[in-house]
Formats: sequence, structure tokens, C-alpha cells
Amino acid sequence: MSPSRPPAPQDLLPLRAVDFLILLMLAPGERHGYGIMQDVAAHTEGRLELEAGSLYRTIRRLSRQHLLEESSRRPVADRDDDRRRYYRLTPLGRRVVAAEAARLRALVRLAEAARVLVPEPARQGAP
Amino acid sequence: MTEFHRTKARDAHERVYRLLLRLHARSFRDEFGDAMVEFFRDRLAAARTTGGQRALLRLWGRSLGDLLRHAPASRLEALRAAYTDRRDRRDAARRSPRIHHARREDRMIASILQDLRYALRALRRTPAFSATVLVTLALGIGANVAIFSVVHGVLLKRLPYEDPDRIVHVAHQEPGTLVSEPEFVDYRRDAKAIERLAAYRSATVSLTGTNVEPERITLATVSEGFFDILGARPLLGRPFIAEEEQQRGPRVAILSYGLWQRRFGGDSAVIGRDVVLQGTPRTVVGVMPARFAFPSPDIALWLPMRLNYDTLWTRNNHYLEMIGRLAPGMTVTQASLELNGMARRFMTDFPEVYSPDQPLVAVVTPLPDLVLARTRPYLTAMFGAVAFVLLIACVNVANLLLARGETRRRELAIRTAMGASRARVVRQVLTESVVFALGGGILGLGIALGGVRAVRALAPADLPRVEEITVAPLVLAFALAVTLGTGLLFGVVPALRGAREDAAESLKEGGKTSSGQARGLGRARRALVVAELALAVVTLAGAGLMIRSLWKLQALDLGFRTERLLTMRVAPPEAQYTGGRAAPFYETLVERVRAIPGVQGAAAVYELPVADGNSMWSILVNGAPMGTVANSPAAMPQTVSPGYFEVMGITVLQGRGFTAADRAGAPLTVVINETMAREHWPDRSPLGGTIKMLNEQSQWATVVGVVRDVRSNGFLGRIPPTMYFPHAQAGQSAYYVPSAMSLAIRTRGEPEGIIPAVRRIIRELEPAAPISRIRTMDQVVAESVASRRFTTQLLAGFAALALLLAGVGLYGVVSYAVTQRRFEIGVRLALGASQRQVIGLVLREGLRTAAIGAVTGLAGAIAVTRLMRSLFVDVQPADPITLASVVGILVVVALVASLVPARRASAVDPMRALRAE
Repeated sequence: MSPSRPPAPQDLLPLRAVDFLILLMLAPGERHGYGIMQDVAAHTEGRLELEAGSLYRTIRRLSRQHLLEESSRRPVADRDDDRRRYYRLTPLGRRVVAAEAARLRALVRLAEAARVLVPEPARQGAP
Repeated sequence: MTEFHRTKARDAHERVYRLLLRLHARSFRDEFGDAMVEFFRDRLAAARTTGGQRALLRLWGRSLGDLLRHAPASRLEALRAAYTDRRDRRDAARRSPRIHHARREDRMIASILQDLRYALRALRRTPAFSATVLVTLALGIGANVAIFSVVHGVLLKRLPYEDPDRIVHVAHQEPGTLVSEPEFVDYRRDAKAIERLAAYRSATVSLTGTNVEPERITLATVSEGFFDILGARPLLGRPFIAEEEQQRGPRVAILSYGLWQRRFGGDSAVIGRDVVLQGTPRTVVGVMPARFAFPSPDIALWLPMRLNYDTLWTRNNHYLEMIGRLAPGMTVTQASLELNGMARRFMTDFPEVYSPDQPLVAVVTPLPDLVLARTRPYLTAMFGAVAFVLLIACVNVANLLLARGETRRRELAIRTAMGASRARVVRQVLTESVVFALGGGILGLGIALGGVRAVRALAPADLPRVEEITVAPLVLAFALAVTLGTGLLFGVVPALRGAREDAAESLKEGGKTSSGQARGLGRARRALVVAELALAVVTLAGAGLMIRSLWKLQALDLGFRTERLLTMRVAPPEAQYTGGRAAPFYETLVERVRAIPGVQGAAAVYELPVADGNSMWSILVNGAPMGTVANSPAAMPQTVSPGYFEVMGITVLQGRGFTAADRAGAPLTVVINETMAREHWPDRSPLGGTIKMLNEQSQWATVVGVVRDVRSNGFLGRIPPTMYFPHAQAGQSAYYVPSAMSLAIRTRGEPEGIIPAVRRIIRELEPAAPISRIRTMDQVVAESVASRRFTTQLLAGFAALALLLAGVGLYGVVSYAVTQRRFEIGVRLALGASQRQVIGLVLREGLRTAAIGAVTGLAGAIAVTRLMRSLFVDVQPADPITLASVVGILVVVALVASLVPARRASAVDPMRALRAE
């Protein structure tokens, strides 16, 4: 059922908000499920609290789309359990997140141009 | 200890979650199951650190919601994958049976989950209705789970001893009640049915030490084998060894966990250090674990019992209790038969001790019964009451669902018409009720958690094993069972009605109810309400009888005045205040307390009325020659200071009370109570009669007064014949001069205000005298009925809840009937009926239903309250006053419940009502 060849990033856009957030949380490095959920909750001020079922179903979907994969590496060896699974972005996943972010930025620019949104001054040191 | 509970509870949560994960498709579970459990465990840990119970509930709510949303989806995905898979392999020779199996399971679970989603959607669509149902169920389930937690913790959980069912308690029937040393030694030597037998007794002593306040503690003196019989090992150190039980053996003690924490800060180096009891140092050899609390929770330490085999105390001095472990294969009955055979032998061997009129009868009780005998009937009554509340809640919800079923007939009809089987419709409706029940169950669990906390905080002091009351795994299982049972119970009637529906008919009628159906439905609903009201009447009657009992108890004449009476126990060191030195100490103390501003009077007494009881002693009367214990009467000795009767408000009926003139060296005097006067001087004045305690040391004392009977040792006990001796003469006449006494101080204002002043005086007179049990007499009295009051309040609360629910049920039925009869009411009004007549019409209908419920309920009440007879005081189960009040209350509730719909009926606009049809 998995496609034989990975698709191009543009074919997968736009991403669902949850997918985008999960992939984004993996951008700095590997995370395990609970960590992803905590990051998402923190970055959305607790508005989006993923539960196990929704998180792992999304993870399964994203991994079938080759956007993320399980990592065999254990960042902190001693306090870890075998059962804890870590995930990381695939190169494709990284390109897709970037493409989605760019798409969103374009939309924000559009909104600013339409004076729907006041342009935010670029902060010092912000990426 | 908390740590241990934590780990266990954590496992239970996880186990349940793991079980629920099976709702997900197998393929998904295989891949992510472990990770999800890990995820859940992290969330659990986070919930625990942040918010306790509430966070836990929230976690479960979210996790269940997540399962409900995503498990069907994962099943459907698996289903789809399996189909694709099958198509791909169509040409393959064999199909894997496992795939087939997986598919069927997926299909079934997917459809059940679909029902769940329908149910949730229905629940959200009618929020007010759903809230009513959920709150009703939550109250019913919550009350049940809370009370079950208490029943489980107190009655069902095993006592924390090894094989507790094999442990027996041995004592005697009245009048001996306890066991004397020679009896114990004989029983222990000869009994075969009891493998090991140990004696113990409790005492209150002063614990002193450098730089700490002296305190009064309760200790148990225990004979060899005591800890072994209970299967208890010290947490630290060791049990007593044989050497320590010898006369002149080393003086040692074993601490309770509580005393160890309090006095030694839980220091594990306590072994080998000293505790000072009554001025004598003893070496600590062990510390018992926190859960070990035998013979009672207030025991602060244990001492080895020393029997002196050369001079065993007299056979007549019954002051020991015994516990033993049954020999293998032996039963309680066998043990009882054997010990009673021995008791009969004692009676023939020692005729001078045992009177044939009052035979010695050994009582062998299994330990669990001994601990719980008093509590069991109360808890059973409460459990019965909450079960009734839950039944009422179920009936109420069934009623609500029936009413709503009518508005949903169209929906169900469409479903049937589209090809849903009856079974499927029944399942859907049942799923809905189970979802309601689960929701109610979760809310109820929240209520139960609060309830359990409240019970633990408010429980009367004599409720055993309060610390064992928790929402344990078994309680959770009970909650789940009750919840599912409830869901099926209230769901089954509406479900069957839903399935009976003829789809075509319903659709033709546009989903409206025909009048015939409406009548049938009305009857069904009214029958349910009658059942509800009847159950409420039974609950109410039980609570009412308990309230009446409590009132009767409180109205009981105690024989003295309790108001503004401060009491406290003072215990100067026994060694320094023996014999003649105790009375002068109290004389000075009482005199100085009297001088405190606001004090009306003060006196000292050995045993405080109501709170304490004393044992009976054999006596001689009117100069009778020295006899034997067997042929002598007995009475309760009491030692008091001059002025005691005046301070307590105990009326002197004949002669006089004590004065300062009744001092040591003066002619010996005694004052007796009415009961004793009746017993020994039935037809003449006892004044001038003489009494002597049955022993060589005591001398004859002359009766100088008769006072009213006073309740001793609780409320209900028989009032024993009592003789009062002046403290100053006790050494000559009363055999024993107590050094620890209770002060009774009558004040003009609030009694609590003078406590500091009294403390100061005692400190000045004797710094080493601990002061304990500072209470007003009103508190003493209240404490002695605390257990009963607690039960009564809870029962009254449940009865009120039952009544409220039944009232709501009645309201629902009456107002439904009003809606159904709008047309008829419209016609009546149009034909000239007054509003008052319409109101009367509706009220009569409500009252008729209530009357049928009341009659049915009264019959039930008479049957059920008979079972509670042992809890009532001076009230008959069929007490007419109580039953009449119950009916009165029910009528009032029925009126209120019918009045609202009645007013609405009278406000019907005839034109509109008629046009609407």
C-alpha cells in the first residue's frame, strides 16, 4: 500500500495543522511521543493537547508518507525504557515542513498586504 | 506506606488503560501499543504531580474520549486494509484464517463504536436532558461508591493480621466479663482446641521525660505469644523474650509507630533508649509497624505481662482479656465447647468463688467479629439506604428516557425502515444508556472521592479502621459494575419499547404518539414513579426511626446537669501520691480552682459519668459475716471529693452528700444510688445501714445518703448499684485510693475560658502531673453518641436525596400528563371550568400517585425497618409517629411537585390548545 516512490513535497501541501505542528516539533531534533505532545501543548498555550490515539495515528500516517521515521538512537541512554520510541524528520519531511512554512508565510504576507493583519516588525535575532 | 499505595494504584490505572487499548485494531496496537502505554504513564505521572484526583479524572476523561474517537477509525482502517489485502491475494490458494478473524473482530468493534458515537452525539444534542440524567446518576452512583468504600475498608478488607479468621478473642459472659489470672493460666495449660493463648489488658499511664510535657498514654500489657498469635513482627527491634516476662526480668517496652514518630521523631536508633513510665525507665526493644493497632488504635506501647506463679492473683479478679489461635482443624464452636467445659470444672473446684446463680460462661468470638460487631449493622443500614437511592435514580432516568423515547420514535423508525434490525436498535438504545451510565459513573466517582475524604475527616472516633477507607481497586471494580448494571437496568425498558415500534405506523403518524400508546406509556411511567415514591418512603422511614432514636437518647435523663461543666483528667505521679497523700492534693487543687473567677463549683471524681465505667466489686451489707465471692452481692465503687454531688447537680434524695468532715480518721461514710438502695433496703431507709468491701483491709462504712442514679459507661448500659466513698477515707473503706482523678468544674460562663487558669494551678501544684481529656461534659455526652449521630445524619441525607429524586420523578410524570391533556384541559376551560378547578384536577392526580406510593412504601418500610431493629432505641419499627410524619412529608413533596405543572395547566389558553390539535 505504500507508494513505491516518495512524492514531491508540493504534492503533500497544504498540511493539516496538527501534522505541521508535529513535524515542526521534530525539526530541532529527535523527540518521543510524549515529548512531542508536550511541545505542541507548550507552543499552542495548551490549546492543543494531543492524546495517545490521535498522536500515534498521525505518526503512523506521517511515517507512511515518509515524512518522519523512527530513530533507533537513544539520546539519553540511562533513564530510558525500551518501549519509548523516538522519531525524527526524514529529509523529505524536512523539505515538506519548509515548503508548508513558506506557503503559510506567503499567505501571511497576502493578509498583511490586504491590511487584514498589521505587519509585525522583525525581531532581533529571530529566525 | 503512601509510596506503596501509589505504586499499586499506578499499576491499576495502567492495567485498565492497557485493557482499553484493545479497542484499537490489532495491527495498530502491535505497532504502537507499548508506546501508547508509555505515553499514558508519562501523562499519569504528570497528572499526579500537578493536580491529584481532579487531574486524574481529567486525564481519564480525555483518554477515554481519545479512545472513542480514534479506536473506531483505526478499526476501519484495518478493515479497509484487510479488504485491499484480500483483493490483492484473491488468487492465492488459501486465505489466512487470522486475517478473517481480524476482520470479523474489526467489523464488530467498529459497529459498537459507531453506536457509541451516535450515543455521544445524542447526548450533546440535548444538553439539559443529558445533564439531568447525568447528575441523577452521578448522585446515585457516587453515594454508592462512597459508602461501598467505607464498607470495603472497614468490613471487607482483611484485618492486618496473619490468618485473622483463625484468631479468636476469649472473655466471659456477665458478670465476670473478663478473665482472672488463675483462669487464664488454666485455660492456657489445658485448652486443646486453641493452639496458643495469650492474655492482655490495657491501662492508662503517665509518660514523662526530660524537657517534654508529661502525657497520658494507653498501653497494653501482653503475655508471652501475643504478637505471634496475631502474626505481627516489629518494624524495628524484636518482640519480647521469655526472660523479660519473668519477675525481676529486665524492664522493656515496645513502641507503637505513632509514639515512635511523636516522641523520637522516627529515629531508627531508638532501640536501647529509655522511656519513662510512671517514673520508671524502660528500655525500648522494638517498634511495631503503623498498621498494627491491637487491642485498640490508641495503644502507644506494649509491656510484657508478668505473672507471678507463686502468688497468682485471686480467681475473682477478672481483669484480663485473651486472644488465641485456633489449633489446626478446630472451629470456634469446638473451642467454645472445650473452654466452657473447663469453666464448669472451675465452678465445681472453687465453689467459694463462683456462684451457681451466675455461672461462668466463656465467650469465644472470631477476631473480625469482635472488631466489627458494633459497626456492621450501621454500615449495612447505610449501604441499604444508598442502594435505594441508586434504584430511585435508575427509575428516574428510565422515566426520563421513556419520555424522550417518544420524541425519538421517528428517528428509530427511520433507522428500522432503512434496514436496521431490531437487535441493532435495542443495542443502540442500550448503548446510549450505558454511555449515560458511564458518564454518570465518572462523575459519581468524583463525588465518591469527595465523599470518602469527607467520611475520613468526619468519621466518629470509634469507627474502626478509618485509615483503611480508600477508593481501592476493588471499589473501582464495584463502581464499574454498578455503573454498567445501572445502565442496563434503566435502559432495558426504553430499549424494548423502541424495538417494538412498527416503523411504518410511526412514520405515518409523523412520529407523534397515538392516544392509546400515550395511555400505555403514561401507565408505565406512573408505575415507575409509584415504585420510586415507595422506595423513598422506606428510606425515609428508616432515617426517621434513627432520628427518633437519637432524640430519645438525647432526651434521656442522665441524672446530672451537663451544661457548663468542664472536665479533665489529672494524674500526679502515682509513686508520690499513694495512700493518704492523694486526697490532700485534690483538696488543695479543688479549693484553688474554686477561687478562679467564673467558677461556680469544682470537685474530683475517679470515674467520670457517661464516659467511664468501673468494674463491680463484691461487698458485704449490714454487718453480715465475711462470706465468699460466690454468695456476696456486688456493687460499683466510686471515689469522689466533698461537694461532688452539688457540683454535678446529682440530687441527694435521702440523708446528705459528703462534706469536708468526712475526712481520714472520722467515722467512715458511704453514699449509695437509688438502684443500690432498692436492691438492699427495699422496704426501709438505707440510712444507717453498713457496707464493707469484700476483703480483709476494708472496714465497715455507714450509709449517710442516697443519690439519684447517674448514667455510667455510655448511655444504654444498665445502671449498676453504685456506692460513693469520700476520697479521704478511700484507703480505709474503698480498698483502693486512686491518684489519677477527673476534675469536674461548673462555670458561670463558657467553660473553655478557664482552661488556662486550671492548667496553671495544676502546673504549680505538681509539674509532673499530665492533664488529659480536657472536654466539656456536653462534649463527653456528644462523643458517646457520635457514631450514632454520624450514621443518622448520613441516613437522613440519603433519605432527603431519595425524596428529592422521587419528587423530581413525580414532577416529570405529572407535567408530562399535563402536556398530554392540554386539549382536554382546553375543553374544560372553554366549557367554564375555573382555574382553581383545573389546578385541583392536576393536584389530585399527583396526590393519587403519591398515595399509592405511600401505601406501598409503608408496607415495605414495616418489613425493612424490622431488620434494623437492633439500631433503634426505645422506638418500635412500626412507630406510628414516624410513619405518619413520613407520609406527611411525602404529601408535601407531592403537592410541591404537582403544583408547578398544575399552575401551568391552569394557564392554558383554551383557544390555542383547541386549535393546536
